[in-house]
Amino acid sequence: MTTAMLELQDVHTYYGNIHALKGISLTVNQGEIVTLIGSNGAGKSTTLRTISGLNSPRTGQILFNGTRIDRLPAHEIVRLGILQSPEGRRIFPRLTVLENLEMGAFTRNDSVTMKEDLERVYTLFPRLRERIAQKGGTLSGGEQQMLAIGRALMGRPTVLLLDEPSMGLAPVLVEQIFTIIQDINKQGTTILLVEQNALMALAVAHRGYVLQTGLIVLSDSAAALQSNETVQKAYLGME
Amino acid sequence: MQTRIRKSMIGAAFGFAIALISGGFAGILAGLVAGLINGYVVPEAEPLADKRRAIVQGLTVALVGSVLTILGIVLRNVVIDPIIGVPLNLIGVAIAAVGAVLLCVLVSVVMCVVRTEPPARERIGMAIVVGIILVTYPWLDQFLNLRFMNEVIPVLVFLLMALGLNIVVGYAGLLDLGYAAFFAIGAYAAAMVSSPHFGLSLSFWLAIWVAAAVAAIFGLILGSPTLPLRGDYLAIVTLGFGEIVPIAIKNLDNVSLSLWNYPLFVDVDLTGGTKGINPINRPWLPIIGEFSPSNPIPWYFLILGIMLISIFFISRLRNSRLGRAWTALREDELAAGAMGINTVNVKLLAFAIGATFSGLAGAFYGAYISAIFPESFRFDVSVMLLCMVILGGLGNMSGVILGGIIIQFADRLFLPQMSTVVQKLIVASGNESLRDINFASDFRLLLFGLTLVLMMVLRPQGLVPSNGSARVLPVAAGEARHD
Repeated sequence: MTTAMLELQDVHTYYGNIHALKGISLTVNQGEIVTLIGSNGAGKSTTLRTISGLNSPRTGQILFNGTRIDRLPAHEIVRLGILQSPEGRRIFPRLTVLENLEMGAFTRNDSVTMKEDLERVYTLFPRLRERIAQKGGTLSGGEQQMLAIGRALMGRPTVLLLDEPSMGLAPVLVEQIFTIIQDINKQGTTILLVEQNALMALAVAHRGYVLQTGLIVLSDSAAALQSNETVQKAYLGME
Repeated sequence: MQTRIRKSMIGAAFGFAIALISGGFAGILAGLVAGLINGYVVPEAEPLADKRRAIVQGLTVALVGSVLTILGIVLRNVVIDPIIGVPLNLIGVAIAAVGAVLLCVLVSVVMCVVRTEPPARERIGMAIVVGIILVTYPWLDQFLNLRFMNEVIPVLVFLLMALGLNIVVGYAGLLDLGYAAFFAIGAYAAAMVSSPHFGLSLSFWLAIWVAAAVAAIFGLILGSPTLPLRGDYLAIVTLGFGEIVPIAIKNLDNVSLSLWNYPLFVDVDLTGGTKGINPINRPWLPIIGEFSPSNPIPWYFLILGIMLISIFFISRLRNSRLGRAWTALREDELAAGAMGINTVNVKLLAFAIGATFSGLAGAFYGAYISAIFPESFRFDVSVMLLCMVILGGLGNMSGVILGGIIIQFADRLFLPQMSTVVQKLIVASGNESLRDINFASDFRLLLFGLTLVLMMVLRPQGLVPSNGSARVLPVAAGEARHD
């Protein structure tokens, strides 16, 4: 039986007067990879920002394991185990790779488990081990993305929110990153993945939601979405 | 070898300048400074592990340092002094030159040898060298008849504030242009409870804690409205705060407050207005008794003690969880939030803790001059502190101390001394029209501005950058972010 780990119920979010999310309802079950696909400005990142507390919803509820989190400040949501790898990566450019990763474990402050987690991140991303003393800002785009995901993993997430991990990366790297995302999921982390690259996202996800101007227009299993005609036309570039 | 001599020129230049400008036996101090700077700078550029080679290294840098220092001594005491009407004293010149060489050689060789030790012992060794110089300085000053002590103490007060400002600007990346306000608040808080003004007359040792606490509270008060602000916007709010506080203090000499027509107090003089508060209690200790205004030595050791304790606490803070949170905040506020850092609390703590050190400095300063006036805490104090922090290197304590020492001594000792010498030279040359130029007061702010501009252009990371990473002013860093 699957249990809803993260649940959004009719969430409305505004930026000032701009109505960005117009009633989003979605669920993420334990152990799943769920993807949110949609074009620019559909509200994908806003959905993630709303979950992680960077924006607060005007109405609607967000439940994590059955308790409401939509009024909690961002840092407390992180403490609950919902970690975000933010859009645009946002690594700390003037800190080293190691310092960046240590920052990810900020909420724990426990040197023993931190070592284990560092090992885990280095096993997932061997490139980061090679770059350990290098400043974050001097890494290549792909390495920065690895660092951003690795940094989020250092916080031991139960739910990992990934915002556009493929953005600006070469196709080879995109494939590599998505393989690693699947590995992370197999190790037990639930993932909510926001992507413009619908093809890749649907290939790794279990289920998906299609977002259009702040509304969910479709939701189904990833396989069903892949064969859905509208999705194929609008997001997969097939005729 | 070439780097060794080139790097030795840094200390040598300081030795030359000090000997030239200060004159008299200050040449001996110039030799000491040249030796100290070269003993630090040269092994840093050319590390050696071999003791014998280190001694040679020390002797080479001392040679370069002494030659220029002696040149300064000769130029001043033999060439300039007779022109400006100081009788030539060849024996004095010889003593100054020999003293300068001896101290320069001693300090550079010891420093170069210490620098060959493994890191832990090296740090202890350097601390001992610097400690000996700091502890013996008051007597050296007296012995050489330098009379620098009355300037050294305010220099240390400003260094303490620069260290506090460095927490806010260097560690947390919050540009604060009104930091002198906390100096004023600390000074007034201590003065109010430790003077006959309200009849409280608490001991200095209690008042200094009151000052720290009140400054911290005002740090929170300033911090809270600035929470959503960043970079330039934050700078403007803090600038306003720095202007409001001295003006408010000036006008709080006639305060009445009533609650629903029921007067709580009428015409209370809180701050003494433009007259300030005077006198303020001086510290008292057994054996020493009450610190006297004519003997600077107890004051020197008191502020030195406060500094050392502050440096200890700040370095511990730097390496704590809070210190790491400040780093994250400075680098990227949004990402810091995504790491689970409570950015609100972390910002407020930066303001409060930064203000605490300024409050301590204020309490000491008030007791030291035994009087305070609202005019002592104007905008230029904030600017000077910011200059000190930037010149040395944002976020690096030893850099801030170095930058602070350079700016403060330039401002308090060398500009006035230079101005006196130049004026006398002008008088001697008989050019009446230039008589009224006063370097110290006329060019002071120009020189600060010039320092800031040159540093921003040539070396934005400061003289001693922190951990080799380029840390620049928060405003500039903010532009690199996409927010």
